[in-house]
Amino acid sequence: MMGWTDATLALFFLLCAAGLVLSAIVPNRVVAFLLAWLGGISSLLLMTAATLQLIAGQDFDTTLWTLYGWGTLSVHVDHLSSIFLFIAGLVYLSCSLFARDYLIQYFSNRYPAGRYGVLYFALMAAVALVLIAGDALTFLLVWECMSILSYLLVNYERSQQRDPAAGYIMLAMSEGGFLAIVVAFLILAAHASSFSFPALRAAGGDLSDLAMWGVFVLGFFGFGVKAGVVPVNFWLPRCYTATPPIFIPVLAGVTLNLGLYGIFRLNGDLAPGHGIGMGLVALIVGSLTALVGILYATTENDLKTMLAHSSIENAGIVVAGFGAFLVFRNSGNAVPAAIALTAALYHAVNHSVYKALLYEGAGHIEWSTGTRDMDQLGGLIRVLPALSVVFLVGCLAISAVPPFNGFVSEWLTLQTFLRSAVLPFAFVKVIFALSGAILALTAALAVTCFVKTYAMSFLGIRRGAWSISKSLPLQARFSVALLAVACLLLGILPTYVIPVLNRAVEGMAGASATASLVPPFFTATSQNQELPPAFLQDFHNLGAQTGAGAVPGRGLVILLRGSDQNPVVFAMSPFYSLLALAILLFIAWFVVTRFTRQRAVARRELWAGGIPRLLAEMSYTATGFSNPVRVVFQAIFRPNIVEDTRETVSVHFRTAIRRRRDETHLVDRLFFHPVGDAVLWIARGLAGMHHGKLNAYVTYSLAFFVLILFLYRLA
Amino acid sequence: MAFWFWRGLRKGIRSTRYPYAPELAPGISPGRPLDTLFATPEEAAIAAVNCPVDAITAIGGHAHVDLKKCVYCERCHFGAPNPLQWDDGFEWTQAPSPSRYKPLPNEFARSLHVMVVDAGDCGACLNEIRQLNNPLYNMHGLGIFFTATPRIADVLMVVGPVSENMRGALVKTYEAMPGPKRVMAVGTCALTGGVFGRSFMSAGGVHAVLPVDLDVPGDPPPPLAVLHGLLVVTGRKAAIQ
Amino acid sequence: MISTPPLRYLKTPFEAEIERQFTTAVSVELSHDQILSVRLLRTEALRDLCKFLFWDAACSFGGLIVEEEPAEWHLQYLFLRPGAGWITVTLRAPLQNPVLPSITPAVHAADWYEREAEDLFGLQFEEHPRLGDFILHDQVWQEGIAPMRRAFNPLQSHFERRPNAEWRPTLVVKDPGAFAMPVGPVYEGGLGESVHFLLETVGEDVIRAVPRLFYKYRAVEKIAEGKSVSDGLLLAERFAAKSAFAHSLAYCQAIERAAQIDVPVRAKQLRVSLAELERLRHHAGTIQAICQSTALSVSEAHAAIIEEQLLRASCQFSGHRYLFGLNTPGGLRRDFEAPACLMLLDAVDEAVRHLGELEQRLRLTSSFLDRLEDAGVVSAQAARDLDLVGPIGRASGLANDLRRPCPYTGYESYSFEISSEPDGDGFARLRVLFFEAQQSAALIQQAIKALQPGAVCAPESHVSPGSAMGWAEAPIGATVHWLRLDENGRIERYRILSPSFRNWLGLHVAVEDFAFQDFPIILATFGLSAAECDR
Repeated sequence: MMGWTDATLALFFLLCAAGLVLSAIVPNRVVAFLLAWLGGISSLLLMTAATLQLIAGQDFDTTLWTLYGWGTLSVHVDHLSSIFLFIAGLVYLSCSLFARDYLIQYFSNRYPAGRYGVLYFALMAAVALVLIAGDALTFLLVWECMSILSYLLVNYERSQQRDPAAGYIMLAMSEGGFLAIVVAFLILAAHASSFSFPALRAAGGDLSDLAMWGVFVLGFFGFGVKAGVVPVNFWLPRCYTATPPIFIPVLAGVTLNLGLYGIFRLNGDLAPGHGIGMGLVALIVGSLTALVGILYATTENDLKTMLAHSSIENAGIVVAGFGAFLVFRNSGNAVPAAIALTAALYHAVNHSVYKALLYEGAGHIEWSTGTRDMDQLGGLIRVLPALSVVFLVGCLAISAVPPFNGFVSEWLTLQTFLRSAVLPFAFVKVIFALSGAILALTAALAVTCFVKTYAMSFLGIRRGAWSISKSLPLQARFSVALLAVACLLLGILPTYVIPVLNRAVEGMAGASATASLVPPFFTATSQNQELPPAFLQDFHNLGAQTGAGAVPGRGLVILLRGSDQNPVVFAMSPFYSLLALAILLFIAWFVVTRFTRQRAVARRELWAGGIPRLLAEMSYTATGFSNPVRVVFQAIFRPNIVEDTRETVSVHFRTAIRRRRDETHLVDRLFFHPVGDAVLWIARGLAGMHHGKLNAYVTYSLAFFVLILFLYRLA
Repeated sequence: MAFWFWRGLRKGIRSTRYPYAPELAPGISPGRPLDTLFATPEEAAIAAVNCPVDAITAIGGHAHVDLKKCVYCERCHFGAPNPLQWDDGFEWTQAPSPSRYKPLPNEFARSLHVMVVDAGDCGACLNEIRQLNNPLYNMHGLGIFFTATPRIADVLMVVGPVSENMRGALVKTYEAMPGPKRVMAVGTCALTGGVFGRSFMSAGGVHAVLPVDLDVPGDPPPPLAVLHGLLVVTGRKAAIQ
Repeated sequence: MISTPPLRYLKTPFEAEIERQFTTAVSVELSHDQILSVRLLRTEALRDLCKFLFWDAACSFGGLIVEEEPAEWHLQYLFLRPGAGWITVTLRAPLQNPVLPSITPAVHAADWYEREAEDLFGLQFEEHPRLGDFILHDQVWQEGIAPMRRAFNPLQSHFERRPNAEWRPTLVVKDPGAFAMPVGPVYEGGLGESVHFLLETVGEDVIRAVPRLFYKYRAVEKIAEGKSVSDGLLLAERFAAKSAFAHSLAYCQAIERAAQIDVPVRAKQLRVSLAELERLRHHAGTIQAICQSTALSVSEAHAAIIEEQLLRASCQFSGHRYLFGLNTPGGLRRDFEAPACLMLLDAVDEAVRHLGELEQRLRLTSSFLDRLEDAGVVSAQAARDLDLVGPIGRASGLANDLRRPCPYTGYESYSFEISSEPDGDGFARLRVLFFEAQQSAALIQQAIKALQPGAVCAPESHVSPGSAMGWAEAPIGATVHWLRLDENGRIERYRILSPSFRNWLGLHVAVEDFAFQDFPIILATFGLSAAECDR
């Protein structure tokens, strides 16, 4: 088995290299074909490798090269890596297939598709390497490659972009984050024997408090740049909006996950620490990130920007779950820690899938209508029926509506907050309660946001002056359907997903999530006492053992049993719910068609109060729908509304009322602008040193030399 | 605000007992002119000539009144040289084509939803219809409700002579109603155009625009006449001939 | 042509002032009682003269009367000078391509009158802020019909219509996410009149509410042409039947003034009591609508009962619930016995007592008052700018009521107060309604108690051809009926200046930035009639 993983990964890298080289030399027309097939096969290989590793259950590592004076570059595939590898492979598969028809636009203009292909395959290889890196050197080297490749892909259409600075901000922030990550690893490595992860893990157990906090803060916010936590995420909306539509699913589905992987790896696996302070910081930061993200998403009209803010929200939820995990783990409650980590991992997985789906949908909308503004869209359900169905699945999934995957991870996340009774201090419980409340608020706002998105884009009447020229191409249909089916499966089969995630969770949390979340209804009998008999009987009456012989696994119900202080049972089963729903609908359909009189159905035009026709300017706009949210949270948005009216005769005869709204993002206002201003202030101060006098420069050199000698003397 | 509730209770039940008992309170109806037999044909002719809207035709000594045209100018009533006889009832609803008229099925007898469309009415007919909501007439007690949307309406009640600007909206309202549905033209304007008649701006009555099932004459018909019309449309009362 | 004033005629200071300011541009003549006529000799002075009258002389704008004569256009601008009487400014212009300045920049109240003239006569007013699509809706009629012109036959059977299917409303709010929610013309369960609103909004509050009226336009003024005076009276009563008596009163007074008929005292007293009865009943109806809009059901039921009792009392007293068929030129068509009058007094007493109780209880209901206070505020300045009439104007601080400055049918001999509230919000309008209801009851008492025996109708007399103007204070505000009769005594031109026509402009313009939920309440507190506006 080990050999298979090895071989698959090697083949994967070979194909990536082949793809890279071929893209550079074949004509443009063939590149799309190449991307779809070669990229698809590579992704499948990646997924296979990950699956093999998870099934085998053993870590796989190998050394690559030894760099003189630095250390050994090695590769280490463990369960945590495999989970992220699998999801990266899935998203890449979908994107490779999806991009094929959209690369056509790159055939004839100045951005040859070949260059895109080269960068694409290189990034695929880099992402895989980041996830399987076995020591800090490899990790950092490949991380930097990945950042630069992402930047090159983001800035692919440089001259066509409306916001050329977006890519540069991303690059700057990536480098800043990288710097922080480097320092964090160095702090760890200073106490370790080598750069390899096992050595760092051992060192992480022995660090002093100050060093621990240093590693945590630098690592958390360093990886947080890619993941999108407040306050280092101000680059994210601008950058995502400026990214070409064929690349953005990868950016949102894979590279964002890399940031989360980094947090899990560094702060969860290598250096989790002993105190609960760090977990609390992560928890608070995550909750606030979620809230800020969804608030701006709800009031945003541009599809891509809205999805970017929503990504911030989801990243916040994952980080909050991770923070809860740290708190539970370091206060000795292994079982809640396992549940929290499971929730965080599950949500990271889910987010990739439905975010990639939504971005692909948004990309097609932009491509076929020419606009991304929800105020201009409307009525797409009539002209893009296939996309409407799939986009609806994506919206339902992200709004955490059963039976899709978002529901399961949100449920698990909120459940962990309910277990705060086991925590030691009162103020910790209060923070947990508040965070839980904030996350509940974000869940409600997320529903609002995506109801608005779907309704304003697909339903209603067309509001702008566009017309559909292209319907969803066949391969694109397959790729979005793939992701939609994944959303559904991840939602109705959580009892199979959780044991898979558990392989990574068990090692980090110290308890089995499967044991506490998935009771073995199928394998338990009154004889073999895996579950208390009365309990088993109750649940048997509810139908929890339906399908016992036919379906493999432990059962189809997720169940949380409360602690001794809180002996309640929370149970849910998306699979049975879906089954029950289907049966109910079938019964209703049967009764209505068989037992009621057939009535003639007439289709008439829309009733609009008797006016001749309902015009586009009379239908609700996205701005109007989200206005209540904007008004209620005005203190956060702090818009400047400039009202400007133009009159002809006097104030009574207006010809136009214009209200211009200027908004500065909260994070920009509170963090970016003050920091930027401070830096500029320092720079202006320092610029005073550059006055052009040669004598002064010589003096500087002399003074610096003297300082060095002095320090050397002291050391 | 408990005292509103208490005050309401203290007022007691003031609703009319119609249709279970005759309603005899003074002022509920202006009455209507009746066909009158005069002593001589000349007197009948004078009565007929007096009418400004030609609602009275004299045939021999009979002065025959077409209530659908009467605008209640009262010139045949007060101060007329040959006043006609007047009664003071209110059950005036007629079917314009009795052979083709069918009331709504039984299910609607106690659950009727009425859509009222103002197609240019002067305000009086609408006001009378509005009075049906007040406790003195209490049509909710009979299971009749006004709706704001034609999608759930069973009866379309039209008032006004159908001004041309409103014609399109009226037709759209009719088409937006699902079957089974009935159309009632309420008031003289809706029946024959009233004093506005037919002109470039007035269709001269609902008959010119929609198929009408029941006519409720009067200018304006008192609330009880409209109520009688609603009872006729559900079959609980019979139309007069 | 400048007419030399008669030597025995002494000019009042006001007339002298006009002559001094506009020396050669105007010619001032005093014609009928209470009407001052100013003839404009130079068209360019129109705007300045109207501005002077409206602002400097604090006159109220009465309306615009347009007549098409064989060789020229004859325009009359009507003004009401507080405490003094009417002023008409006459302007004549050639029939072909007349150059008419718009006075709307100076007198905003003239906005809709000029739009109406443009739509119905085809006149173009220079510098009017917006013309087009007013009475003849562009979705139904093509441009250029001008139905009020002499050549147009209202009864033509085949009229080709070429509606503009691409018509779109002009929206004022230009925000990117702004939209205009349509309400009507069929809405409110049909119990509201057919008016179309476009509520321009960006989601939370309505920035601008634009009403579109004239869905009920029945061309009353056109079909009255050629009718006899008695047939015209039918039209006057029935175009806005909730104020039927007031309109028929104005119409009859126009004829009486033209024929110089002396109406008997008894008729005048009965006319006062009937007019006030109608005002009382109309206000009860408006109060019921206000209570209904705030969903205070029990109070709505109480007000509705009061209105129905008054309708029944009207029917018992006069034979018709809306007082049709009572007025005739010269007086009333029937007399009333003493028992009937006592019955009326009792009914009115009871109604007004219940209204007083209702008012007391409403003032104690803070949730009700909350919805009315600061809802649809019309500032005093806006009310003066737009020259609002009736209870709405009085609730915004204007103390205008035709019964005082230009008393008719004997109002000068009664004592009553004119209400005036400064706030201009919904609650102020409600207070005005209650106050006026009390005053109406007091007037009915005075009139009935002082009833003198005698005839109720003056003998018929010949009406000489010429113009005739009558006015009345209808429940919604001041109304003026103007007629021109030809030599056969038939109507040549009938002009109705209705109060609702003026006040709808107030709703449109003065009410901005309110919450969606307040819209029905504001509409109810204005208590306007689309039928009276549309005619």
